[in-house]
Amino acid sequence: MIEYLIKGPLWYFSLAVFCIGVLWQLARIIFAAGKTDLSVARGSASGGAWRNVFSRFVPHPEIAPRIRLQVIAGYMFHLGLFALLFFAAPHVHFLEKHLLGFGWTPMPYWAFIVAAQFAFFGLILLWLRRMLNSVSRLISTTDDHIAAILTFVVMLTGCLALGQGFPALNLLHLFTVELLMIYFPFSSLMHAFTFIPSRAFTGAWFGRRGIDA
Amino acid sequence: MPVVLMIALLVLPVANASAPQQQKDYPQGVSSISPGSDLWREVRQRDLPISGITQVQGVESGVLINAEGDRWARFRIENPVRYAPFVLLVVVAILVLFYALRGKVGIEGGLSGRMVKRFTDYERVVHWTLALVFLYLALTGLILLLGRTLLIPLFGHQVFSLLASASKESHNLIGPIFLVSLIMMVFSFARRNIYEKGDLTWLLKGGGFIGKSHVSGGFFNMGEKSWYWMVILIGLAISISGLILVSPNFGQGRVIMAISHVVHVFGAIILIAVSLGHMYMGSIGTEGSIEAMKSGYVDINWVEAHHDRWARQVKENDEVLSAEEFARQHGRKPESTDNAAGQS
Amino acid sequence: MSERLEAGLNVLRAEMDKKVMSFFSSCVRCGICAESCLFYTETNDPRYTPIYKTEPMRKLWKNEYSFWGKLKSTLGISEPMTEADLSDWEELVYDGCSMCGRCSMVCPVGVDISMVIFKVKHALAVAGFSPEGLVGATKRAVEIGSPMGITMKAVLATIKHAEENTGLKIPLDVEGADYLALLSSNEIALYPEYLEALAKIFDHAGVSWTLSSAAYEATNSGLQIGNKAIAGQLVQRVVDGAEKLKVKNVISPECGHAYTALRWEGPNFVGKAYSFRVVHILELLDELQAQGKLKTTGMETDRLTFHDPCSIVRRGGIQAQPRNLLGPITNNFVEMTDHGSMNWCCGGGGGVSSNERAEGLKHTAFNRKKSQIEEIKVDAVVTACSNCRMVMEEGLEHNEIDIPLLGLTELIAEHLADKPH
Repeated sequence: MIEYLIKGPLWYFSLAVFCIGVLWQLARIIFAAGKTDLSVARGSASGGAWRNVFSRFVPHPEIAPRIRLQVIAGYMFHLGLFALLFFAAPHVHFLEKHLLGFGWTPMPYWAFIVAAQFAFFGLILLWLRRMLNSVSRLISTTDDHIAAILTFVVMLTGCLALGQGFPALNLLHLFTVELLMIYFPFSSLMHAFTFIPSRAFTGAWFGRRGIDA
Repeated sequence: MPVVLMIALLVLPVANASAPQQQKDYPQGVSSISPGSDLWREVRQRDLPISGITQVQGVESGVLINAEGDRWARFRIENPVRYAPFVLLVVVAILVLFYALRGKVGIEGGLSGRMVKRFTDYERVVHWTLALVFLYLALTGLILLLGRTLLIPLFGHQVFSLLASASKESHNLIGPIFLVSLIMMVFSFARRNIYEKGDLTWLLKGGGFIGKSHVSGGFFNMGEKSWYWMVILIGLAISISGLILVSPNFGQGRVIMAISHVVHVFGAIILIAVSLGHMYMGSIGTEGSIEAMKSGYVDINWVEAHHDRWARQVKENDEVLSAEEFARQHGRKPESTDNAAGQS
Repeated sequence: MSERLEAGLNVLRAEMDKKVMSFFSSCVRCGICAESCLFYTETNDPRYTPIYKTEPMRKLWKNEYSFWGKLKSTLGISEPMTEADLSDWEELVYDGCSMCGRCSMVCPVGVDISMVIFKVKHALAVAGFSPEGLVGATKRAVEIGSPMGITMKAVLATIKHAEENTGLKIPLDVEGADYLALLSSNEIALYPEYLEALAKIFDHAGVSWTLSSAAYEATNSGLQIGNKAIAGQLVQRVVDGAEKLKVKNVISPECGHAYTALRWEGPNFVGKAYSFRVVHILELLDELQAQGKLKTTGMETDRLTFHDPCSIVRRGGIQAQPRNLLGPITNNFVEMTDHGSMNWCCGGGGGVSSNERAEGLKHTAFNRKKSQIEEIKVDAVVTACSNCRMVMEEGLEHNEIDIPLLGLTELIAEHLADKPH
């Protein structure tokens, strides 16, 4: 019964909430009111927008020494998670079977494990820093903690199911994934998508003014 | 089929050596003096480890039966598996007793509210990362160790096998993270943990925990330093043996695996046992200690009480924050349990 | 709900746009912005974290625009905002933020934090939660024409002295001139040599220019306090003056926020594009130098550096020009370690220097600029903003450091060669 629910209605529900939710939130932003800038531009807004979307991946050297932990742990987590999400064999197989109808060559098993280790380590370092640093303690919201913990639980249940011998563990992993998908569009996890318009808007502002950003 | 051929190969020389001449003209079974016991003595390799020649290429593929294996399995069940729960329970009991008799080790004059920075953000993050990862590995490791004797009777085979698979997979994945955190710990804290003059005195005086004598200490006292080196050295031993165990594709034979396992499990039990003491001392056991790993700051009275040599340095360099300043930087109300009128 | 709260919240609602929505959706509270802000780095007080200064607007966004906020109000369990949500932020936003924009440079998800803080300032200003010093300055700007209370009479006196010192005529209210030059109150009061420098340089380069008695003040207290209506009112004076004299260009002086107010935000405040071009004095000097109309001679041999005024360089885009101008006249120039668009603020921008209550905090924040200057062991600091100049002079004096501040335009004027034509 539980298996039927998790693999059936709850899967479709969570998928729908995720897809519609993400698109809805993005649409709300993109179609919201914007003000035209009446000043004379010095440089290109679209050029600045494109540039900023990519340049913000690399911190300014003036600040890099102060933020080493966030940058290194941040990239460990994000790159590790991205790699294992899209290139781990069980996931590629799942995407092919249940979503896309096509797959691609997954990475070897040892690479999957290493990617997972980077993701776990990065997330643990980041979440602990959030708890221990006085700035992040002041500004962090409940949403930040739920997002971190939920992501960690998804990763952990995935790790527990690595033996591939117990359907109950696979089911638990799928269930936590569905919870994350439902939570995603209504949380700060949306930054995974909204960072693009956010960087673009600011980049356009800098580009218009001809600022070396 | 290959077994039959192998037995035949082994039997043949014996048969040839000791069989009396047969004058029958139909094929007979081979006869040999006590073929069973001789055969099995050879196979059992009681006297020498014998490695034969096979077509299968691999580590120890020429060894038919590993005599050490049984020895190791019995050793495991009779020692770490049997005694680990007792060791841990005894440690817990000692701590409970210590707390009941000695109570929380307080600070003369209480907390003043004036704070000194002891650990940076990074140092605290590394410590708690190591701690959380260690606790997880300890939990999953104990599940794997005590399954047969404790958990199967409790949960049954089905549940335990699921639990064991989950524990094993996650234990193996998280293990290397422990090693990396350990290495980070080496870089962060090794310099301050080198033994120096005064440390032996600290030990001889029981660290000030037995009786009320005051002991001198530097940034880290002897007890802390010893725990640190225990963590690093035993932790390294556990990590290296763990890496050997988790990747059996580098030519390790069974002997190396068995030794690694013994190192791994004994090291783990020692670390878990002593870490219980560390967790106790760092939290409810000593007044003012946990703050060091929370905000990174400690009360100046705590510094005077436990690390007087560092206290002198801190006061010379004017590093003491007032209660108001500390509260402002940490979004808290200034607090003090100090009831003495004159403060240093 | 009090009137003040309602007024403030209505401003926040009007200020909500697609940018702000994308910003609040993207911020993950990483805290990197704190490491870029001198008010945090010099005090270690987490409340000065830039994104924390935007809390009032974030709370509104959460309550009225986010899924959970809207769900809570439907269920009747929302946490409505109170006056304290605005008033408690007055000190953070006015005393603890100079609108320098360094935070907007470093945010990994691209939030323009400085822009959002300005929107919060707007709400606080309209709700009446602004520091006394700025309220007074704004009142004087609107009623007298200058936040420091400088009337045309004082301007005329300055013009007279400048004419005496330079032997040149300073044009006033000349219709059809190419350039209308504006001044800032600070320059009139503290650095009148700026006007003399303009006269000498324009004479040298053959520039047709004028001052205007109807529009002499470039400073915009409306911008500093965050009141967009008043800011627009003050910009309109300049627009009216420029249109009356039918000038082609208006020169923004060596004043940081004046450039922002006039060049970039002005058309949006008044709701109309200008019929003239706005150019910063450094831009103009650079153009003249490139055209061969501005020739310099001699070298400053002292070890010099340049302090980048935030509103001109980081938020204004004028980074290369000061270096182009200093190049030919310095042979011992050294950049601060963090320079250009990543230089540190002097700590007095955004109205902080007009806010007496912020004096102590401003001096603490100045420690950052002080360590920058001490690190490179210079003989003097050149800058191109009269407010930065004043703040740094005061800051260095407070720390008993004897290093002079030099204005760039004045420095150019001292090195003018014979007229090219």
